[in-house]
Amino acid sequence: MSIRKEHGNVSETTFNSPVDIGPLSAPDGSVTVADAASTTKVQIRGGADTGAAAELGVGYGRSQRRADGALVCGTRPDEWTIYAGAGQASAITAALSEVFGHFQGEPGEGFVTVIDITHGRAMLRISGSNATAALNKICNLDLSDELTPDGAVFSASVGNVGCDLVRDDEGGQTSFLIGCERSFGKFLFIAVADACTEFGLSVPHGWELHGH
Amino acid sequence: MSNRLTAQPGEIIDRSTSLSFTWNGKAVTGHQGDTIASAIAASGVDVFGRSMKYHRKRGILTADHWDPNLFVQVGDEPNVRAGSRRLEAGMVVSTQNVWPSLEFDLGAANQLVGRFLSSGFYYKTFMRPKFLWPLYQKVLKKFAPGGRIHWETSTHDAYDKRYVHPDVLVAGGGPAGMGAALAAADNGASVLLVEQYGDLGGHLLWGDDAQRAQGADLAAACRAHANIEVLVDSTVTGRYDHNWISVMQRSHDIAPERLIKARAGVMVVAPGLVERPYVFAGNDTPGVILSGAARRLINLWAVKPGNRAVVMSANADGDAAVADLERVGVEVVAVLDARKGESIVSVEGKSRVSKVALSDGRTLNADLVVTATGWTAPTSLLNMAGDRPVYDATAARYFSNSLPSNILATGGITGDGSTAELEAHGRATGVLAANRALRRRHDRVAQTARSNDPAWDKPAEMADSRTPLNRVPHPECYRSTTHGMVDFSEDVSSKDLIQASKEGFDSIELMKRYTTVTMGPSQGKLETVNAAAVLAEANQVSMAEIGTTVWRPPFAPITLGALAGRIHEPVRRSALQDWHDAHGAAPLLAGQWVRPDHYGDPMGEADNVRNNVGLIDVTPLGKLDLRGPDVSKLLELVYVNKWSKLDIGRVRYGTMVAEDGVVSDDGVTGRLGEYHWLMTCTSSGAGAVWEMLEDWLQTYRPEWQVHVTAVTGGLTSINVAGPHSRTLLERIVEDVDLSADAFPYFSVRQGTVAGVSDCIIWRIGFTGELSYEVHVPSGHALHVWEELLAQGEDLGCRPFGVEAQRILRLEKGHYIVGQDTDGLSKAPTAGLGGLVKLDKPDTIGLPELKAAYERTDLPILVGVQTDDPEIVPEEAAQIVDGGSNTILGRITSSRMSPTLGRSVCLAQVDPSLAAAGSSITVLLADGRRVTATVQEHHAHVDPEGARQRV
Repeated sequence: MSIRKEHGNVSETTFNSPVDIGPLSAPDGSVTVADAASTTKVQIRGGADTGAAAELGVGYGRSQRRADGALVCGTRPDEWTIYAGAGQASAITAALSEVFGHFQGEPGEGFVTVIDITHGRAMLRISGSNATAALNKICNLDLSDELTPDGAVFSASVGNVGCDLVRDDEGGQTSFLIGCERSFGKFLFIAVADACTEFGLSVPHGWELHGH
Repeated sequence: MSNRLTAQPGEIIDRSTSLSFTWNGKAVTGHQGDTIASAIAASGVDVFGRSMKYHRKRGILTADHWDPNLFVQVGDEPNVRAGSRRLEAGMVVSTQNVWPSLEFDLGAANQLVGRFLSSGFYYKTFMRPKFLWPLYQKVLKKFAPGGRIHWETSTHDAYDKRYVHPDVLVAGGGPAGMGAALAAADNGASVLLVEQYGDLGGHLLWGDDAQRAQGADLAAACRAHANIEVLVDSTVTGRYDHNWISVMQRSHDIAPERLIKARAGVMVVAPGLVERPYVFAGNDTPGVILSGAARRLINLWAVKPGNRAVVMSANADGDAAVADLERVGVEVVAVLDARKGESIVSVEGKSRVSKVALSDGRTLNADLVVTATGWTAPTSLLNMAGDRPVYDATAARYFSNSLPSNILATGGITGDGSTAELEAHGRATGVLAANRALRRRHDRVAQTARSNDPAWDKPAEMADSRTPLNRVPHPECYRSTTHGMVDFSEDVSSKDLIQASKEGFDSIELMKRYTTVTMGPSQGKLETVNAAAVLAEANQVSMAEIGTTVWRPPFAPITLGALAGRIHEPVRRSALQDWHDAHGAAPLLAGQWVRPDHYGDPMGEADNVRNNVGLIDVTPLGKLDLRGPDVSKLLELVYVNKWSKLDIGRVRYGTMVAEDGVVSDDGVTGRLGEYHWLMTCTSSGAGAVWEMLEDWLQTYRPEWQVHVTAVTGGLTSINVAGPHSRTLLERIVEDVDLSADAFPYFSVRQGTVAGVSDCIIWRIGFTGELSYEVHVPSGHALHVWEELLAQGEDLGCRPFGVEAQRILRLEKGHYIVGQDTDGLSKAPTAGLGGLVKLDKPDTIGLPELKAAYERTDLPILVGVQTDDPEIVPEEAAQIVDGGSNTILGRITSSRMSPTLGRSVCLAQVDPSLAAAGSSITVLLADGRRVTATVQEHHAHVDPEGARQRV
């Protein structure tokens, strides 16, 4: 995306998140919830007969962090999502179009589409030693280390919101990236923060589950 | 008079604490570790409540979770089980089901007419006359048992939920359950050990010194084991398909109750046994208790249960109760050995037992009767797994018959044994459970996409080589020579059951429903076996022939709030909703979306759009990004009109129908590129349309190359409407020619708005005015919205809400799918006319569409105006045939039009009334009938479209 400057300070990095609150942490640091909506999110779709799977190198249900820091996720059997720092959508999309050639749905051998979904998806990160326990209050999947190891990619209901999740540990600490349709973003943050209250996290006034 | 004993060896009360509470308004104290019941009993109270039907005085019977006589109100919480709820300081405890007081209860008058209140009383009495049913309902509600909920003043905290996935879930923390948990954990399984009472140990807690020590050692080992999570004061309430197991956790810091949804590899059922009462005349008199109750009162809470006791014992536990009673100074005036046929015939006494008649003809003065006549195996969890337990006359109880491989049973429910034998059986069961659970876990890890391949070998399958526990012979002691209470919760006596059998309700399932026996809060734990025995006696058949009722979830009653847990009702917010909130918008919950209904003056907002320019946030409009060479084929399939020749940059309106020809959704779709389209659909239908498209692409047309991406929330949609809308946009749109020639009606462009690129600008409208819809990447939507307001200030630019939009669209005659159509509205009803192309090779619902267009009887959507312009009929007001009540249609939308200064409507009418100029009669909600006239067009304002095509 190219942004002209005449009309104010708009740029890819001045991004309004659905969650206008800073990270929340339990006093003992055992769980932290932080907004990550500005994360660049690029979706690639292509069937098994395309080169997408081989090119991206990640199978369904798994993820891999590239040297440039981008996280490539096998979101669904024919779908991948690349997560990267804010403001990288144009560069990533352009690079992928060069790789796949068949871009924007043009016919050819192997039908691959690439779409920037940054603005369409809210995202948060929950981290800490109690992150799994907190998440398991509102997500019914088995999140144990063996079933959901670092790098696992999966979809699930979180607080009744359909979400895409990645187990993306940081510094040896359990961490999950959780993305959902943008309009659910504030509710999802509230629901996750509420689940963390059992582990000492305090929710600011106005962000309570039953008061939003 | 205090009944508190001196310190007992195994007591669990902390005498250094003093907890003050009130019982029926009277101040009482107890200790930490007391239950509500033990504290009240220690204070000298005999009568805890009144029975449900006859309002007979009731006292402690079992002194545990299942005690049917110990339901109390605590503050604003009804139906609290005083037999298991731990005492807390400040509790306000009162009796339920009495009026005006526990001692003088008018409901006790029912005892005088008891012979008329037998089985089936309600069915026989309140069936006729039918017109009195409402009166019966009111009267019977007055007699409904249970406590009272005080909605207005309740301070009850929210409930909670949690999901767990243990390899092995053990239901029951007695010696067998703890043994199973330890063995399973030692063998590598993760274990959730669930114990119903406040501490692990089961019956060992009130046993002798050796038993208590064994229990403490096992409990300590369980708590220390890294693979075991221990839940106490928690109940396994149900087992469902694929070992979905519900656990109700009480007394957690986070919530008064928490529903734990467990998906266990294997469940080990180890609930122990439940002691059952003996049926004889007066067996529900306060002072008649079970041996377990006597032992718990003495040994756990140091409460002396009485002074002069008669004990009827059929087993070792009854004998142990005699020893306990004598140890604490209770005078045991008679011990009846049921193994020798000795029994109790009846007791006398009102508020407390006073005399006891024995089978040998003696009558003794006593204030306490203790019975130990056998056990019920609480097989509910096994039944829920498909088991139908079989009665064993030798052991006088039921045993499991067949279980699926992911359910194992251990402990008293499977047989009898010493503590060591029970623990050993539990350990063997735990080893087997771990083997089965780990094999299952290995498969899951190997098969789950998100997990790595298992780093360990799948264990070999282990055979079930456990040595069964013995079944110790036990006399069949169910009923004396007299009749007494079988179901204490429901006030059902043995006499009632025999009467029911005589009336033809002679199968256990029918008798249960007719008499309500076993249907009370204890859910058959105390009653089932006695009921079956009485029925067998009545039918003169064996217990085995009687069978059992089917025990379904829940194992124990569950608080409804706990089932709800914390309420997660997702709300969707556009990127502009915070702005709307901050600027006084009245919120409107439309489906999951919260939207600005208006900003204080919806009529003024509508008027401003007609005269100046307005902005409305229409983000909830469903939006689907479609890419690929076969998109036009997909559109041809799902819309009733044609799409193959739509040029790039052009927009077309389309309607979808379902297979039955009923209108299902509508919207505009624009072509952004050769292989790139953007579809819009209704807010409420967006999810269904997306699923429908994917269904066709994945299932029926997998060869089509189309990718669908939902972008509803990613593109914030701002409708800029009004005669000044072009002027306003020209100020901030940088790279799109907005002139009428270059950007005609029903076109779409991509461009930069207020410095934000990748915006999509549609020239469409829902208001009838010149209007544009700007789709902005949502992260920058607030910036664009505020720029539009700032740049349009001199043009009178103001936001408008959903209500103003509804007024404007109705003035223009645009229908809304789902409001002006319904689940029966086929395309002809919606007036789609030439839009529908029946000559297409294929369209969803095409055969039904063809049939529909041959019909002449379908209702027609028309514009309607009331003859009195001030009258705005209610939406859904019926259109009737003059003065009769024959329905000929209904008003589907209605509003007062600020533009016309009169009411305007859309209505579905019978085809005989659809012609312009037809006079119709509208029946208003207040009963008035008003006349109205069918209009030539749906549109009341600018039917030619001159205002929007400038």
